Amino acid sequence: MSHETENKLPTKLWGGGRSPFNVEYGKLMMWIFLLSDAFTFSALLIAYGSTRSSFPAAEHHASIPFGSKIEVEDLHQYFTPSTPGAELAPGVQPHWPSPDLVFNHFPFLHGHHLPLLFVSLMTFILIFSSVTMVLAVEAGHRNEKKEVAKYMYWTIAGGIAFLSCQAWEWTQFISAGANLKSNPFGPVAFADLFFIVTGFHGFHVLSGVVLNIVITSNVLKGTYEKRGHYDMVEKVGLYWHFVDLVWVFVFTFYYLI
Amino acid sequence: MSSSVDFQEFERHAPDPGAKRDIMKTFWILFGLTVIDLLFYFWLPSGMIKNSIFILLGIVKAYFIVGTFMHLKHERKFLILMLIVPVIFIIALIGVAMYEGHYLFNLHWN
Repeated sequence: MSHETENKLPTKLWGGGRSPFNVEYGKLMMWIFLLSDAFTFSALLIAYGSTRSSFPAAEHHASIPFGSKIEVEDLHQYFTPSTPGAELAPGVQPHWPSPDLVFNHFPFLHGHHLPLLFVSLMTFILIFSSVTMVLAVEAGHRNEKKEVAKYMYWTIAGGIAFLSCQAWEWTQFISAGANLKSNPFGPVAFADLFFIVTGFHGFHVLSGVVLNIVITSNVLKGTYEKRGHYDMVEKVGLYWHFVDLVWVFVFTFYYLI
Repeated sequence: MSSSVDFQEFERHAPDPGAKRDIMKTFWILFGLTVIDLLFYFWLPSGMIKNSIFILLGIVKAYFIVGTFMHLKHERKFLILMLIVPVIFIIALIGVAMYEGHYLFNLHWN
């Protein structure tokens, strides 16, 4: 074989020597990992849907005006609490609670009925941090080290803000008496699935923040500048967008439906 | 020895001058879709139609996140297919699990 033919670009995609998908192997592996992670989250969300459909649905409570003053005691009539050792009255069905009555708090506005407001804020925070992440990737394509770092800071800030919001949401739910064994709002499965799904998602956000911090420190050290490309930022970016994608569906199934 | 190979294993995406505009457009689309979610939540009566709209809007949002933010729109067709086709397993599981859920409902409450 002459030297010339050896250096020729193989034209066949599957002929070896080239990535058939025309992507860097690490990026391809990240995609495959995300696909498997998508299966995990789907399994959790589908378990939620199937469990929910095995309980009688709550009646609709749109009659409570948005923003009106409401005491926790006023809402008790809408719930069939599950506490260990306590039996439901005969003939009473434990119905699945309406999420807008469970998650209707907002910081500093205690005692007002504000369904969906706080979780919308969380959704916007995560969309915002997704945008700054993709802007960091875009700056990486232009090899602009300072710009990549700037957008990475914003992404990390968004991730920490989201985690803080989730901690507040959990605190509200737990201080109302919910845990893995009892749920003052309805079936125990409601609390269990809430903790597992949002907890698993929150754990992903936490891992994402840690990865983003590692990558940002490498950006600042100039590791990728020396390497000549910012592929690592792109790979972590894929993970970060996936976390946002999962949240879109958690938001839909937990809070909207 | 093949250490002298100078062809590339893959081609990196060249910097795209229109990328930033595309990103901001997608951001406003996602923002708008979430606002529409909220409006529907408070305006529409609850029921199957409302839930279907929410799921549909979720899929539209997923398209924009995966397509533009994760750049999948600009990847090779086979990579796209490799990632999209397995979703049929998820759809199948939704069907099975919802059937099971309704069965349990009838068993307990009817």
